Amino acid sequence: MKTKLAVLAAAVAMLAAPTFAGETLDRVMKTGKLTMSSDPEYPPQSFLNDSNELDGFDVDVGKEIAKRLGVDFGIETPAWEVIIAGGWSGRWDISVGSVTPTKARAQVLSFPAIYYYTPASFAVHTDSSVTSLEELNGKVIGTCGGCTYDAYLLKDLVIDAEGTPPFEYQVTAGELKTYETDTNAFDDLRLGDGVRVDAVFSALPTIQEAIKNGYPMKVIGEPAFYEPLAVATDKGDPEFDAKIAEIVGEMHKDGTLKALSEKWYGVDLTTVQ
Amino acid sequence: MRADIPARPILERITPSRTEVIVIACLAALLIWMQLAGTRIGGLIAPLTGGATGPGTEPGFFLHSITGLAIAGALWVNLILLRLLPFKFQVPIVWVELLVAFITFVSSFDRDFGIWFATSQDGTTNFVYLITTGAVTTLYVSFISIAFACILAMAAALARLSDNGLAYAASTFYTSFFRGTPLLLQVYVIYLGLPQLGPQFALNAVPSGILALSLCYGAYLAEIFRAGILGVHPGQHDAAAALGLNRKLTFRKIIFPQAMRFIVPPTGNQFIAMLKDSSLVSVMGVWELTRTAQIIGRRDFRVFEMLIAAAIIYWALSICFELIQARIERHYGKGYTKRG
Repeated sequence: MKTKLAVLAAAVAMLAAPTFAGETLDRVMKTGKLTMSSDPEYPPQSFLNDSNELDGFDVDVGKEIAKRLGVDFGIETPAWEVIIAGGWSGRWDISVGSVTPTKARAQVLSFPAIYYYTPASFAVHTDSSVTSLEELNGKVIGTCGGCTYDAYLLKDLVIDAEGTPPFEYQVTAGELKTYETDTNAFDDLRLGDGVRVDAVFSALPTIQEAIKNGYPMKVIGEPAFYEPLAVATDKGDPEFDAKIAEIVGEMHKDGTLKALSEKWYGVDLTTVQ
Repeated sequence: MRADIPARPILERITPSRTEVIVIACLAALLIWMQLAGTRIGGLIAPLTGGATGPGTEPGFFLHSITGLAIAGALWVNLILLRLLPFKFQVPIVWVELLVAFITFVSSFDRDFGIWFATSQDGTTNFVYLITTGAVTTLYVSFISIAFACILAMAAALARLSDNGLAYAASTFYTSFFRGTPLLLQVYVIYLGLPQLGPQFALNAVPSGILALSLCYGAYLAEIFRAGILGVHPGQHDAAAALGLNRKLTFRKIIFPQAMRFIVPPTGNQFIAMLKDSSLVSVMGVWELTRTAQIIGRRDFRVFEMLIAAAIIYWALSICFELIQARIERHYGKGYTKRG
């Protein structure tokens, strides 16, 4: 009878206290599975490969983290908005989704480790006469709404993660056009030079991937800034965060991340140039 | 009935009405204003006027006008010829013409539709993968949701029609809230909000989506059901009472079957809308049709092409349901069609 009561009390306590320290790590180790969230709409970070399986740089990094934790690996594919809303309720354990760790976002999610840096670049239509960043001043520039590229063009970009390289606002857009995602801006640029936009502003790897797939675009000048991209976890489990930070640190040190970056991007993006 | 009208002489039938002349004149003006000389049709006409089109030439107003008039004229001739045909030929021909016009429009895009049939390593084409992964999910989520929505709607409609204050209040609050707030936010509230009550409420993505769609569409359908029930002539109640039927039996055997006649067409409408609205559940990571199309498209930067493929599948599904709906309508409309 007493044991029954104790079990009942424990069950009630568990219901009453949904979060407690070490919850995520406990769950991962107990179920023997690390579930990662990833939005498979961003090649080459995360996409559906030609075997109809999820693949990419982020996916490989997630797999490696699971391997080093000694657990199986699975992927959920919620939308970006749901991932950065936090409060994951244990539906997935970790996001390896190229999230920029800004201070505002750090109030909602934890960012235990930066795993690489993405250069942000401008691109124009191949018919465009623009050749330098200065000539982009006053032009119509398209980018994703509410993202770091949008913030840069509004001269309101705050990336306060440690190790963020300094940058200057080199371009003032004549008109800023924002889209749900940056590749929508590419589609508008594709219609012709200046038809809807004169230039787009996005991650250099994404632009290069689009050019590879036949988009009539060319990259202008050097990258405007480098943004650090971090692994994210739900709030409330410092032990799990410490473990992830340790693993990603090792992956930096032993060259695993560098090798993965070279595999997917052709260059080493894991350190700032 | 159409056959009963005696055929008028051909000359009379091809003579345009005044409205028709005005419509065609406006169309010609619009086409001239659109400056179509640079198009392929303009290119065909240019040599006839002794001009030329192509790189380096600037087509003038004259060529624009001729092209516009030519297109308007061609459409008019088509219209006159169609008018000479009987109804049963007019319908398929106009369908085919509009379809061809649309396909011509889509294929004129500078896009690579070969991506639909590109195969992955296990041999499935993208189009097939879109059906087996996306369309199947869209269908089963929509089917389950519409079933729950109908149950909710019937309950809400009856509650609203009852004399019970509590039921009336609950029903009106429910329909007002779920019709008055965006479905996307309802999805968020159910998926992200419910777990705040405790981890046991952390529903998976598909059940959350079905719950959101059922609640939202149940609210819309509640009003449709209420209108259907009210639409049955009040005399039917009296007639049932005269036959000695009790209230339950009256509703089941007399009112409900007649209300269904009014309920089915708008419910079919809602179902087709739901097929497409179910794409909103993709924010939780459900691979339904739109999301699957986007994911495949993003791989090769062919999102637009894949979304057109998804549109074709949605349309095909809608046509299937229009046919099913027509059958159901025939069933409940039996009392209103001539027998024999």
